[in-house]
Amino acid sequence: MSEVPAVEVKDLVKDFRGSFRGRKVRAVRKVSLQIAPGEVYGLIGPNGSGKSTTMKALLGLLAPTSGACAIFGRNSLKVDSRRDVGFLPENPYFYKHLTAAETVRFFGKLCGMRGRKLRERVSELLKLVGLEEARDRRLKGFSKGMLQRIGLAQALVQEPRLLVLDEPTAGVDPAGSREIRDLILELKKRGITVFLCSHLLEQVQEVCDRVGIINQGVMVKEGVLEELISLENRTELVLENAGPDLRDQIRLLVEVTDGARMVSEGKARTTLERLFLEETRDRPANQKNLQDDE
Amino acid sequence: MSKSTAPSFLSPRRILVIAQSTVTHLIRMKVFYFLAPIAVLFVGLQFFDGLWYAGPDTTLVEQELRMHKNICLGTMMLFGCLFAVVSTALLIPGDVEDRTLYTILCKPVPRMDYLLGKLLGVVFVILVAMAVMDLLMVATLHLRVEAKLAEITELLIDRGLPEREIESVRAEVAAHGSTLNLQYGVLAHFLKAAVIVAVALLISTFSTSTLFTIAVSVMVWIIGEFQWIVRDGLFNDAEYGELPTTADRIVGTIVSVVFPDFRLFGAIADGASRAQTVIPSDVGQLCGLAGMYLGIYVVLSWFVFRDKEF
Repeated sequence: MSEVPAVEVKDLVKDFRGSFRGRKVRAVRKVSLQIAPGEVYGLIGPNGSGKSTTMKALLGLLAPTSGACAIFGRNSLKVDSRRDVGFLPENPYFYKHLTAAETVRFFGKLCGMRGRKLRERVSELLKLVGLEEARDRRLKGFSKGMLQRIGLAQALVQEPRLLVLDEPTAGVDPAGSREIRDLILELKKRGITVFLCSHLLEQVQEVCDRVGIINQGVMVKEGVLEELISLENRTELVLENAGPDLRDQIRLLVEVTDGARMVSEGKARTTLERLFLEETRDRPANQKNLQDDE
Repeated sequence: MSKSTAPSFLSPRRILVIAQSTVTHLIRMKVFYFLAPIAVLFVGLQFFDGLWYAGPDTTLVEQELRMHKNICLGTMMLFGCLFAVVSTALLIPGDVEDRTLYTILCKPVPRMDYLLGKLLGVVFVILVAMAVMDLLMVATLHLRVEAKLAEITELLIDRGLPEREIESVRAEVAAHGSTLNLQYGVLAHFLKAAVIVAVALLISTFSTSTLFTIAVSVMVWIIGEFQWIVRDGLFNDAEYGELPTTADRIVGTIVSVVFPDFRLFGAIADGASRAQTVIPSDVGQLCGLAGMYLGIYVVLSWFVFRDKEF
């Protein structure tokens, strides 16, 4: 990468001290990763694998035991590195006494924004995350999904170049989850770098350019998503309106080809998520019931 | 895209944003509700003449007015200090427990700005609360002084005292009313509460719970009220009776360095309630002392908080 990476984590090691002279626990062991500007990077791993520790070190909430983290070339322990970052924590907590608009405004002001520009930005973001109608409602009455949306709005308030998302769709229904995923793709189009942590592997697969798999504090696999998940010696064909004759011909062709083997055959399937979205978004429930009655 | 200039270490605007949010937080927690029973107490004081007032005598009138002021100033001090401890202890550990702090510190917010914003917000709310209580005290005291002046003037005229003597007595009684000295007493209590906010701020930077912060802050407040007695005993050989040991001196020095000394704050408030003239230079010294304590505790808070991991 010739240009300055959006994120650079170099040989990150983080130890936590046990209480009362307990043994040191090494949460992250020499993790290194780089994210180029404009890339969507997914960090996946089981619970306790070191994802959040890596993310917190990148955001300056934890100091590395050794190694270093940088955001657009700036040491992440320095406050100025956070000027270009928007962060959405898992289960975001905000001041419950503030309304949606006040929350986004508060974080905008912390980033030095003010006046008309800030007012317009607040309205624009509330519209973007679908909370326009709830703008004057206090957060204490918000559902988990709504809090996640307001979290996304505050993360984007200063138009950051890097967005760090920790489980962005936790607690959000499939439709909302799809909207967040579309938003990530839209941000990618605008050239915003996204660093994403998620347990929803299908979602990571849909939006990420590159993926890192972390386990027990060690980066076990990292690379371009398509390269990681493609099986070099296998090919997948999906046919539409293929009758039994065509399928027989294909089977025959495979049998007579040296070394080739049909591994599986069956009806192509949609995902449960796509089915759910089609059934709930495109056709309201009462309309479906009427059709069933007919 | 955002500009790449580094955020300044101390940004007054950012500090004000955090202070404003703290004020909103406290107001929406309905903290000003505690002013209602205080208002009832101050107004109710008007109707408790009989407890200590036996008749229209100058000395008794002065005692009565002094008692009125003592109760008002004492209430202001108690509520100001308790409010300082509880509200500070609720805010920062609350932000850590709720993880609201993560989101704030992930914005370009230097930790010193966050601490100063919280301190300023709580101090502002205390200032408003003190101003309201002060207004109530001044209003009720004014009514009481006016009533007593009318009563005692009538009595002295009946006794046939010369006008000059009556004026002298009136001036003595009026000195127990709402004067600048009394305002110095209020200022002393406000400054003490502000120092306690800074103490609670320091404790909350390393504390893990609200309860711990409240308990330790109250302990520091109490030690601050009485540490001068221990220190006088240890450093004044004549009063101590025997020479203090080196260990005594070390302990005394540590106590006087670590804990704030609230004696001067109390002395000015006492003087105000006794209608003694408070020397402006003493008030200046008090402001300087409070400023010094605030500075020390804020710097110590920042020192603990700057590398704290979340």
